[in-house]
Parts: sequence; structure tokens; C-alpha cells
Amino acid sequence: MSFLRIEDLHLNLGEFRLDGIDLELEKGDYLCIIGPTGAGKTILLESVIGFWAPDRGRIFLDGTEITHARPERRHIGIVYQSYALLPHFTVFQNIAYGLKKRQKSGIESAVRQMAESLNIDHLLQRKPATLSGGEQQRVALARALAVKPALLLMDEPFSALDPRTRHRARELMRKAVQGQETTVIHITHDLDDVWTLADKAAVFHDGRCRQFGPADEVLDRPADPFVADFVGTNLLEGAVLERNGDRSLVGVNGFAIYSRDGAEVGKSVQLAIRPENIRIIRTPPADSDCLAVTIESVAREAKACVLQVRASETCLSVVAAHQTVQRLDLHPGDQVYARIEKENVCIVGSGEITQLSGFMLPRKG
Amino acid sequence: MTLSLVVTVLLVLAMGSLLAVPDFADVWENLWSDEMRFSLRLSLISAFLSAALVISFSLPIGYTLSRFSFPFKGLVKAIIDLPVAFPELVLGLCLLLLFGKTVLGDWLAAVGLNFVFTQKGVVAAQFFTALPYASRIMKSTFDYIDPKTEFVSRSLGYSMFETFWHVTLPMARNGILAASVIAFARCIGTFGTVLILAGGSYMKTEVLPTTLYLNISYGNMGMALTSGIVLMVVSFVAIYVFEKTEAAL
Repeated sequence: MSFLRIEDLHLNLGEFRLDGIDLELEKGDYLCIIGPTGAGKTILLESVIGFWAPDRGRIFLDGTEITHARPERRHIGIVYQSYALLPHFTVFQNIAYGLKKRQKSGIESAVRQMAESLNIDHLLQRKPATLSGGEQQRVALARALAVKPALLLMDEPFSALDPRTRHRARELMRKAVQGQETTVIHITHDLDDVWTLADKAAVFHDGRCRQFGPADEVLDRPADPFVADFVGTNLLEGAVLERNGDRSLVGVNGFAIYSRDGAEVGKSVQLAIRPENIRIIRTPPADSDCLAVTIESVAREAKACVLQVRASETCLSVVAAHQTVQRLDLHPGDQVYARIEKENVCIVGSGEITQLSGFMLPRKG
Repeated sequence: MTLSLVVTVLLVLAMGSLLAVPDFADVWENLWSDEMRFSLRLSLISAFLSAALVISFSLPIGYTLSRFSFPFKGLVKAIIDLPVAFPELVLGLCLLLLFGKTVLGDWLAAVGLNFVFTQKGVVAAQFFTALPYASRIMKSTFDYIDPKTEFVSRSLGYSMFETFWHVTLPMARNGILAASVIAFARCIGTFGTVLILAGGSYMKTEVLPTTLYLNISYGNMGMALTSGIVLMVVSFVAIYVFEKTEAAL
């Protein structure tokens, strides 16, 4: 039996809504929910914690139905983007606040232990207004974890932090929840949170869950173009030309590409390729399949460069290290080669063949 | 900027003229007159009582209007706000009709709450005049408090009432203080509503604004000016206490 089960949850608040949400988590799972603003992510959390009564559907936690239980009886913790610290309390009092309701003794040692584990033991007598964003975030996390919640909900807890602090916060978060084997639902807009923390991921749009599954699967095999676009995966329409055991050759507008998945010849399919899994090279090696592409743009971002390349009529996003772009001296208009290993090409959807334009086999070096 | 400076200067001159005109020996003598002592005592007691009642009612009203959705919420809010725009005399007339010879009025009189031409009427008149101001301040105060702090408190095991007590109320203390001072100032300065509902009976339902009005009517400028000065001093003290307490919080 699942630790958390959400069945067919419906809620309409006018501006925000949930439209038949089904989710299941096991004890200790870390779920990241991503999706655009207004997708219904926050009201899902607030429904699970009990601030909104759903119009329809049921929520079970550890085998007990909690759909209409009072928030104070659910034993679910929450950390908000704004941290929602109590301004009239010190850090110590904030962390002790939930403990006071649950235990009469050992509060001070529990607070100090939690504060030490999150490196905020030197801040215990300070008021929240005097803390930095990162410190406030750790206090909010300490307050939520101190009571050892059955389930921890986090609504964009890192979004107000600078990139360096965010990186540290992720590390602390991972250690803290792993230590307690806490089940977590974490709303984020940052795919790095998914990469770093999640073992499951869900993509929300317009009150619906478009895809839910293991994080790798959601990133590598997006269920539809919306999910692919949101998680930044290239999604190509094509048709299966050959099948060789458990792999296929798929014709995409103007070229063909091998996939690690098998599919019936003649079927129209969608191919998913993560931009990190495409390698740009100047000279193709003799023993590898490479695709001739033209660079359309090179955008420098904090962690890497994002290149838009065109192969025939198809555009692909490619993520390349700054070093690689510098070493290969890549510029818009350059004719280069994209090396895509078949292990990194997934077939994510199929149907009857509709149209197949001219294609060419990948160039063998 | 020039305009605000001109207005400020005019206000200072207007208040200063109240202090410049009278003979202070006369003011001192008037202060100890039976009428002034009665009026001052009734004003302070009724204003403290009314302000306490106003805060007791405006807290739940402000919280409900801020936090809950319910049918006809806009209408309820408009009705509570209405007395702000009402002339005090009209509000007094409405209250006189309500608490006069009606079923409600008779019932209240039977349980000892006769508001018409009584000192209880002074409190009722001040209460209804000041309530909308305090309710608006309390609603704004609760609007300003992030409901997420209350959500977090509930998630940590506290009931709605416990959350209100431990989280919302302490966070609203400046708003409560402001509402209390405004309510007290409105109560002690209420004239029209008190005059119509409680009457302006000499040394019976006479509060400071009534003393000012009655003595101006008789041409007794000394007593009228003394009432004005006392009202002004009480208002200044209220604002001073507010500023000091707010800074301390």
C-alpha cells in the first residue's frame, strides 16, 4: 500500500483548480512537482495539508483517509517560499513552536540538535527579520523537520536564494530528509532541484498532472510536447524505418536517427533527446553515426551554453560546456556534427504513420 | 509640498487659537466646575468602555472579513462601513428609531439596556460611530498578515483558535493599538450621534462635546473653550501614547 495516495482530486478556486489529480508515493520518496505558474501546484499542497477541502476525490496518508481531517491532526509539515517565520518569535522559539505542542520535555535539546544539523545554532536568539534569505530558509526547514512530520511539503523553498546558497541549501535538504527518511513533495521551477533531489517527478499544467513517474523517466521520456518543452527535452516527430531487435531507425524530416527502443516499422513516433546528451563535434569519428547540423544560435548561460542547431528542417537544443564552445570555437552559421548515441534517444509516443518527408541516413564517418 | 505646508500651518494656527484666546485663570476655574468634572468623567468612562467594546467587536469582524468567504460578504462589508459616510446626526436618528419604541427597544429596556436619553445611550452612540473605523483598520491589519504563517501554525499542531491567539493576535498588535487609539478618539469626540440618541441633558448625559455645544449656545465662551482645550489635550495624549507604545512594540 502506498504511503501517500491521492485519488481523483478535484478543487475549483476560480483562478486556480485541480482537475482529477492522481498521485502515489512510497515512504521516503522525494517528489518534485514542476509546471508553469497557475498550474495548481500550490493548491495541491494546500489540499494535502488540509487548508482547502477538495470538491471531489480522496487523500490517504499511511493507510488512513485524511481528506477531511483538520490540518493540525494530519502531521504534515510545510515550508513556503516566503518561509512564513513568526516575526515576534526568536529563531529558537520558531523551531520550538511545533515541538511545544507535541512534547513537554527535551524541547531545548531537540531544537539545538536540529539547529546544529542545519548550521543555524549560532542564530537561535535572533529574530527572523535580522536573518538573510538562506538563514530564514534553514530556520523554516528546521521548524518543519523538528516535529518529524510524516510528510513534508515544500513550495519553492529555494527560489528566493542566490545560486550559491541554493546549491548549499539543496545539500542540506538532502542530508536532512535522508536522515529522517521523510517523504517530500517539493514544488519547484528549477530543473536542478529535480536533477539533484527528486526520485519522482510530476509535471502540472492547467490543473492537471500531465506526467508523473520516476524523475529520470519524466526528463528522458516526456509524455507529450508540453512536458518535453517544460523539461527542456527535444521532441521530434518521425516514422520507424527499420527495426533491429530492440532498437529502431526512425526517419525525421530530412534525416534518420537510431533509437534504443524498438517500434513497429511504419509507425509514426515521437523521439525524445535530452539536450545534454547531444555532443557537438567539428570532425565526426570514423566509427560513429553523426548528424550534419548548422548552428543557429549560441546562448551563454551561467552553467553552460545553449545552442540551437538545425538538421534539415528540424531544430534541436543542445547544451554544451562553456569550455567546449570555446575550444571548438562555435559560432552561429557554423556547419558542425551532432553526435547522438542511440542509448540517449527514446521513443515516447507512437501512432499510425501520417506523413514521411524525404530523409537521409545518418552520416557514417 | 507647498500646499501641505499651507494646510499644516493653518491647522497649527487653528489649534493655537484655541489656546491663545482664553484667560487661563478662567480655564483653570472652569476645569474644576461641577459641570466640567461631570462631563470629563462621563466622557472618559464612556469612551474607554465604548472603545473596549469597539475593539472586542472589530477584532472578529475584521478577521472574518479578511479571512473568510461567505455569501453577501460585499454587502455585509458595505453595511458595516456605511456609518463612516453617514452624518452623525442621521446615524443617531437611526439608532433612536431602532432603540426607541420598537420590539427590540422594548426588549432591551426590559433587560436593563435602555439606550434612549440615558448614559448607556452615550456608550451605544459612541460604539456605533467608532465601530466602522476600527473594523476597517482591523481588516487591513489582518489582510497585511500573511495567512501562510497561520497555515504553518495549523500544520504544526495548533487549532484555529490557538493559531489566532499565538500567531495572528501578536502579529496584529500594532493594528489593534492603532484601532484602539482611533476608536477612543472617535468615541470621546462623538457629538451628533450622542446628542440624538442620549440627548444633551445637563449633567446627565453631558459629555465634553455636548458641554462645548451647550455652553456656546448659552454664550458661555469660557466653558466652551475649556471643553475644547480638554478635548484637544485628551486627543494629543492618546496620539502620544500610541506613538510611544508603537515604538516600544
